[in-house]
Amino acid sequence: MSQLSRRMFLAAAVAAGVALGGTAVLAQNYPSKPITMIIPLGAGGSHDLNARVMTSVLPSYLGQPVVVQLMPGASGRIGTAAAAKAKPDGYTLLFTHNFIDELQQHVTKLPYNPNKDFVVVARTNYAPPSLVVRADSKFKTLKQLIEYAKAHPGKVKFGHSGNWGATMVPGAALLQAAGVKMTLVPYKGGGPAMRGLLAGDVDFTVAFPSVITSQGDKVRTLVTLADKRVFKDVPTSGELGFPNVASIATMQRVVLAPAGIPKDRLAKLREGFAKMSKDKTYMKLLQKLDENDEFMSGDQYEKMRMQQDKSYAELVKELTKK
Amino acid sequence: MLDAILHSLELLLRLDTLLMMSLGLVLGILIGALPGFTTTMAMAVLLPISFFLSPVVGIPFLIGVYKGGIYGGSIPAILVGIPGTGASVATTYDGLPLTKKGQSRKALDMALAASAIGDFAASLVTVVLIGPIALVAMKFGPPELAAVMVLSMLIIAFSGTTMVIKSLMMLLLGMFFAMVGQDPIGALGRFTFGFFPIESGINLLPMLIGLFAIPEVLLSIEEKTKPFVEKSIRPEGDRLTLHELNDCKRTIARSTVLGGVIGMIPGVGQVVAALMAYAAAKTASPTPEKFGTGILEGVAAPEAANNAVNGPTMVPLLTLGIPGDNITAILLGAFVVQGLRPGPQLFAQQAPLIYAILFSMIIACGLLYVLGYLLIPLFSKVVMIRKAYLVPLTVVFAFVGTYVYRSNVFDLYFLIFFGMLGYGARKLSFDVTPLVMAFILTPVLEYSLGQSILLSQGNLFHYVVIERPLALVIILATPGLTYLMWYRTRKLRNPEPVNGAEPLPAKQ
Repeated sequence: MSQLSRRMFLAAAVAAGVALGGTAVLAQNYPSKPITMIIPLGAGGSHDLNARVMTSVLPSYLGQPVVVQLMPGASGRIGTAAAAKAKPDGYTLLFTHNFIDELQQHVTKLPYNPNKDFVVVARTNYAPPSLVVRADSKFKTLKQLIEYAKAHPGKVKFGHSGNWGATMVPGAALLQAAGVKMTLVPYKGGGPAMRGLLAGDVDFTVAFPSVITSQGDKVRTLVTLADKRVFKDVPTSGELGFPNVASIATMQRVVLAPAGIPKDRLAKLREGFAKMSKDKTYMKLLQKLDENDEFMSGDQYEKMRMQQDKSYAELVKELTKK
Repeated sequence: MLDAILHSLELLLRLDTLLMMSLGLVLGILIGALPGFTTTMAMAVLLPISFFLSPVVGIPFLIGVYKGGIYGGSIPAILVGIPGTGASVATTYDGLPLTKKGQSRKALDMALAASAIGDFAASLVTVVLIGPIALVAMKFGPPELAAVMVLSMLIIAFSGTTMVIKSLMMLLLGMFFAMVGQDPIGALGRFTFGFFPIESGINLLPMLIGLFAIPEVLLSIEEKTKPFVEKSIRPEGDRLTLHELNDCKRTIARSTVLGGVIGMIPGVGQVVAALMAYAAAKTASPTPEKFGTGILEGVAAPEAANNAVNGPTMVPLLTLGIPGDNITAILLGAFVVQGLRPGPQLFAQQAPLIYAILFSMIIACGLLYVLGYLLIPLFSKVVMIRKAYLVPLTVVFAFVGTYVYRSNVFDLYFLIFFGMLGYGARKLSFDVTPLVMAFILTPVLEYSLGQSILLSQGNLFHYVVIERPLALVIILATPGLTYLMWYRTRKLRNPEPVNGAEPLPAKQ
């Protein structure tokens, strides 16, 4: 059993790799073996899906397959720590997001230093969160929600995807900017939080575009926490008078490499990811996943990243203050 | 609706759909049979293939992987006592003894038949009752889930084969292990002593493989003169007869209903269904003492239940667009890439396609039976390997399986630790089932209890009594159900019930 099934598994994996990856081989010596991309999150999440799209296109530009390794646990710290410890030879990358990368250091003690232990390869795209209520909710605008919350401190319930997670931080940043107190109810992921909203357990949640579109007329979107509008008739947080929320709230998907990676290898990786972002199949698949392909180069994102460090320090200080 | 259904069959009955679904099933069975490779991982790896196929081909392919994977886990559970997934823990109880009696083929056949029947019936009911099931799923919020968790743990503890006090000790030990690491609500470290590798807590897989496979290996080394399988001419035994299947029909029916109901509740899942169904079969049996000694009912009960969960779990995904677990989250990804957004909208606009996908779930059950039937002779050959090779191979699989899961060396230490614990528990006749159950359910209980407290905004009692009638009903039914389970299985534990062995009042 063992041999046969293992062989078949390998055969299937190889067949899948060949069928999907394309086989353009570059003649340089780096990379000369498959590259491992650690995701510090579980299977089936949006990062996993994004990574599956990336790895089905990347081999054409890097000349080697990229293997996804899921290392979930401890709010992303386990996988991040493993990547930080990996040899900086360009064969181990980390695919993470800003709430793990820059925020975790302010909420707990880490066995690594995100700013010193990693360099940015690329920001592949970002996900703009929006605040949604049920279609039959009495809150028609963000203003009504905030006014009600001001009059009834702690009464409004905000269901989010888990502490310091991708929908909690945007919501909390908005509440902090508006100066209101609410009850925050953590769920195990965005799906269960949406269920909580639909069942009437909580008053609002924060969700990403694909989830909102699939709910059709069951939910109403009050505000998008990003610089650009996603839904034509829904204002952004900036338009409603909260100019600083978007930069903290948006989920940035980033590829990092352990610091100390040779310059030429980093350059090659950066180039490969930049080319990937222009690939037609890549763009088409992302579009179908309701993800944008707003690529940002590693250099550029590095600056944004340092800014996040400061913003999150303030946000956490404010939120954990009793 | 009839029109939509007819149209959907037209979409579905194509050779390429059936072939890809079969391929998915075979891959699922093979990957599910490898310890350490979970069904979720198999689906994540194979997902990109579906990107490039049409929806009525790609999604049935993944459904095949899903169903094949859940069944595949039972193969190593029966043959060598390694539960490939949590869902097949209960299958080891009677599966491995059957193998040792020289009836591994019957056991594998029974697991297959029970899986296919349970899955088929539950999927069929799902198709017919998709609307009502969606409503039930919406009723189960955090307070209801917390109540179900308490009930499940108590039922397992009070229907065990060892003294209730021993079961309760194991239950508490399981709860303790579950609490190591970050607490689920506030993300603060507990029992970690500032030691980073255990901050993410203890993983289920090393625990399962350690508790079940390692003691089995150690015990077979102790009895080294005895061959692995008693009979030597045809160590895999005969196939299952229709008569034997017929004898288990009540068990399969009960497990299917139980699994189907558990599948409707978001967040509970296959592991609980299998263990609860095993306990229920034991409780209902006139000869509960035979469970665990190698009887076919003991394989049929958990296998029918864990597959019956599959159909109803799809409901929240299809009707609300909300995935209930990681597997359905991957399916959601497959849908979305195809340009289909599951949710209320999709049902209104693309009814034939949705029915086609639902029917593919039913057809997959039939194919699972056929393919499994063809593959079983191959798998059952494993027991022909000499014990001198089989035992070391089991050890290798246990360690490799633990490591590949998330490439964490620390998991191997946990494997050894739980192996020793399991061996000790065997020697002292402690049943480890309550430990596993508590370990799996405690985080869910803790999370949903924490959520309930936040939702109640400080007044939990008032909230449950006034706003959560369903949770209240479950809580009130808990002592009675627990007592019933205890009463029906009491002759298992002691020839004479110990004085004062009244069940403890259930905690709310």
